Amino acid sequence: MTQEEDGRNDGRKRDPVGFAIAAGLLALAGAVARDAMGMGAVSSYAGIGPSAASWAVAAGLAALAAGTIVAAVRGKIPVPEQSDNAAVLTILAGIAAMIATITAGGGFIPAMALLFGLTARGFGRRALATDLGIGVVLGLLVYLGFTKLLALSLPQGPIERLF
Amino acid sequence: MLDSVFALAQGFSVAFEPTKLLFALIGVFLGTAVGVLPGIGPALTVALLLPVTFKLDPTGSLIMFAGIYYGGMYGGSTTSILINTPGESASMITALEGNKMAKAGRGGPALATSAVGSFVAGLIATIGLALFAPWLVEIAIQFGPADYFALMIVAFVTVSATFGDSPLRGLTSLFIGLMLGLVGIDALSGQARLTFGVPELLDGIEVTTLAVGLFAVGEALFVASRMKHAPETIEPVRGSLWMTREDWKRSWKPWLRGTALGFPIGSLPAGGAEIPTFLSYTIEKRLTKHPEEFGKGAIEGVAGPEAANNASAAGTLMPLLTLGLPTSATAAIMLAGFQQYGLNPGPLLFAERPDLVWGLIASLFIANVMLVILNLPLIGLWVRLLAIPQPWLYAGILVFAAMGTIAANPSPVELVMLAVFGLLGFVMRRYDYPIAPMVVGLILGPMAETQLRRALQISLGDPMALIESPLAATLLAIAALALVAPVLFRGLSRFKAEED
Amino acid sequence: MFRSYKSVAGAVAALVVAAGLSTGALGQSLELKIMAPAAPGGGWDQTARAMQAALTESGAVKSAQVVNVPGAGGTVGLAQFVNAKGDGSQLMVNGFVMVGAILTNKSPVTLEQVTPIARLTAENQAIVVPADSPIKSAKDLAEALKADPAKVTWAGGSAGGTDHIMVGLFAKAIGVDPTKINYVPFSGGGEALAAILGGKVTAGVSGYGEFEGQVKAGKLRLIAIAAEEPVQGIDAPTLKSEGIDLAIVNWRSVVAPPGLSDEQKKALLEAIDKMVKSNQWQETLKAKGWDDAYLAGDDFAAYLKNEQVRVGEVLKSIGLVN
Repeated sequence: MTQEEDGRNDGRKRDPVGFAIAAGLLALAGAVARDAMGMGAVSSYAGIGPSAASWAVAAGLAALAAGTIVAAVRGKIPVPEQSDNAAVLTILAGIAAMIATITAGGGFIPAMALLFGLTARGFGRRALATDLGIGVVLGLLVYLGFTKLLALSLPQGPIERLF
Repeated sequence: MLDSVFALAQGFSVAFEPTKLLFALIGVFLGTAVGVLPGIGPALTVALLLPVTFKLDPTGSLIMFAGIYYGGMYGGSTTSILINTPGESASMITALEGNKMAKAGRGGPALATSAVGSFVAGLIATIGLALFAPWLVEIAIQFGPADYFALMIVAFVTVSATFGDSPLRGLTSLFIGLMLGLVGIDALSGQARLTFGVPELLDGIEVTTLAVGLFAVGEALFVASRMKHAPETIEPVRGSLWMTREDWKRSWKPWLRGTALGFPIGSLPAGGAEIPTFLSYTIEKRLTKHPEEFGKGAIEGVAGPEAANNASAAGTLMPLLTLGLPTSATAAIMLAGFQQYGLNPGPLLFAERPDLVWGLIASLFIANVMLVILNLPLIGLWVRLLAIPQPWLYAGILVFAAMGTIAANPSPVELVMLAVFGLLGFVMRRYDYPIAPMVVGLILGPMAETQLRRALQISLGDPMALIESPLAATLLAIAALALVAPVLFRGLSRFKAEED
Repeated sequence: MFRSYKSVAGAVAALVVAAGLSTGALGQSLELKIMAPAAPGGGWDQTARAMQAALTESGAVKSAQVVNVPGAGGTVGLAQFVNAKGDGSQLMVNGFVMVGAILTNKSPVTLEQVTPIARLTAENQAIVVPADSPIKSAKDLAEALKADPAKVTWAGGSAGGTDHIMVGLFAKAIGVDPTKINYVPFSGGGEALAAILGGKVTAGVSGYGEFEGQVKAGKLRLIAIAAEEPVQGIDAPTLKSEGIDLAIVNWRSVVAPPGLSDEQKKALLEAIDKMVKSNQWQETLKAKGWDDAYLAGDDFAAYLKNEQVRVGEVLKSIGLVN
């Protein structure tokens, strides 16, 4: 992706993405530090408690945020290629639908069918019905294999209870 | 030692009966079949299939058990290479180069070097186990928390091999991994960190969930985002399906070096299988004659870590058999298995039940051979998987990733984490952040912290304890050297260049 | 899931007829779901799967299915389990560890909310020292602890777990401040054992089974077990006989959801009773080295209450719970 990182920054303005990443890292550092402050003082013979590692990580993240700002000012944050956001969102919708189906008690097989169908669509397939069908078959095979052969439990819904 | 050889021969005479060989074959087959399911590592594979073996007589079940074990290990590597979905933390490194190879049509050689490498490593390590177990284990026991801490520091230093071309982005990835490692109950104080009141987070973040999210889900999103502009081309087979002469030449040394790292570290009670794979990857990257291929599919990067992983698995058998110490999840399950056969691993096992011990070791040899016999012909079949049209291939990968996550822990929280890590993996790929350091941070961070605090607690807070042990001091010196040496060399070569 | 068990049901029916057994029809028609609030392979999972086999093979129930809900010492599973209010076809495996985990994890759901059914198994807790240690008895250890609690390092399982609680109780029993103990938690038995064998710590605490091999091989010295009475086959005094008032066992039990009717509770009690008395169960206990600690119904409920109080007090005095 970044074969010629150095060659890219000519004449470019400061990159807002770099600042966003830095802000994200700072936010993480803040969350870790806040969590560390909330820890009770545990008396330990080690001299350091559970918060020591938290502080170290928070400091590291903050330092990296500073480094990212410097890199952004110098224009050293790689510029990504164009992204097909519709495709990404379709797949994320598939994952969200899968999680929602399982959480709502819809069962494993419909969840996997939705995930399969929407992911295939994200990759440019148009035949959603066919893909959902393939997803059902795949989900069914996996379900039977896991529950019958391996005695592992998978989420159940109306369809799974038929078996 | 002569006694050992004699006893081993006796073990073989039992294990070589045709029915026993058949059990080994069935075991390897079942182990591979279950082990290739992503998210299901060797420990869970063995746990799930253990009941199958109970129906047989002790020797038969032991042999099948060994087969399942090796099959499960190899199955995990197969998914790493083919669909970038490591089944366990120790095959994470395999995915780095292996999946790149697979996508470039070199999946055949990648799987082959993994299978043969596992075979070579397993063979050598099992011989090591047979000959030196009682002697080596005395040394392993002497490792204290300070020594482990020093070992972790060495491993940390080697992480830079996975950083790619920007130390800043590599360190960022590593620190986010370290932060994720803080999540959950602190092992030493019982305090919860970064759990935000979510009970599912109390046990910390599952390495496989992070790895599968970042690698498989993140990759799927990234490839989809570029479909229109820079479509990915996957070639199932390009050139030879089998390893070429060149591949052999580039693989055999990494196999041996990987074994040399994996076996001793695996036999340490808290050594683990991940550290040798990290170390092996770093060493191969440093020593290779084709550094330009690393990150794009270098066969050494598969051969070394795979051998290290398998050798460390044989290594964990050493404390298990001689001391009854289960030092990994897989070993703990194996212990439960042994107890089913009336075998109580421990110092008396070699003396009391030599038939079973040597039978097991012979079984491991045979299972190892069976693994290669079964899996080499299957390679052609496996790589055909990549010929599936891309939309279905990636949809299938996501289904398998979700399935593996639910099977290991059937909770929506785990699935949400998978999705979040997938999105994170996507964003990181877009901005060229390396992914492996984050997983390494999650694995090594908690281990290093625990050992450090344990060492300090035993020494009542005296930091000198960290360097008092000669072993710890040596390891720390190696780590310092590894950190400083590249800078020095760079300076040196610049100096030379100026002189010229 | 439950509908395709015809073959199992057939086999069970055949067994029942063959054995000439005829308990209440309710028990045999039970289609149980047993939750193991842990990942597959661990102690609770093994207990649940052993129960599954013994319950169906002995004909105590029509079918049984194991569900794993891992997480946080079983409290994730517990929180899910109490939602099955009034469901007489569910059971959950738990044990001493969960009593402590509820407190240390500040779990909003507690064992008050479940219906206790029976304690099933128990494991003796033991104290060992390295073979070359100057400490020869529990009394020596007590003296060393009294002299300087910081210098006596203990290796055992996770913080707030059975082993940690036992060390806290040990200190309390000999009049040492439990907050002053130097307890080093290890994850899993192997690592702790290695630290004891390597002489990195003063003493180790765990289930006797973990130490047995090393003790018999003379690599560890077993100085005491924490049972009420001396145990056959274990060559060590109890702490009580050494004048230290401490008895503790690591037990595992089975509980049912809240809000059960008397009939539902009775049916489950009968099924478990039948299971415990079956040959399959007794053989499993032997194979796995678990002690039979069967204690059912109200007796178990009282025992559970008592343990909760005791564990709560110790965890407070160690400083793990405030």
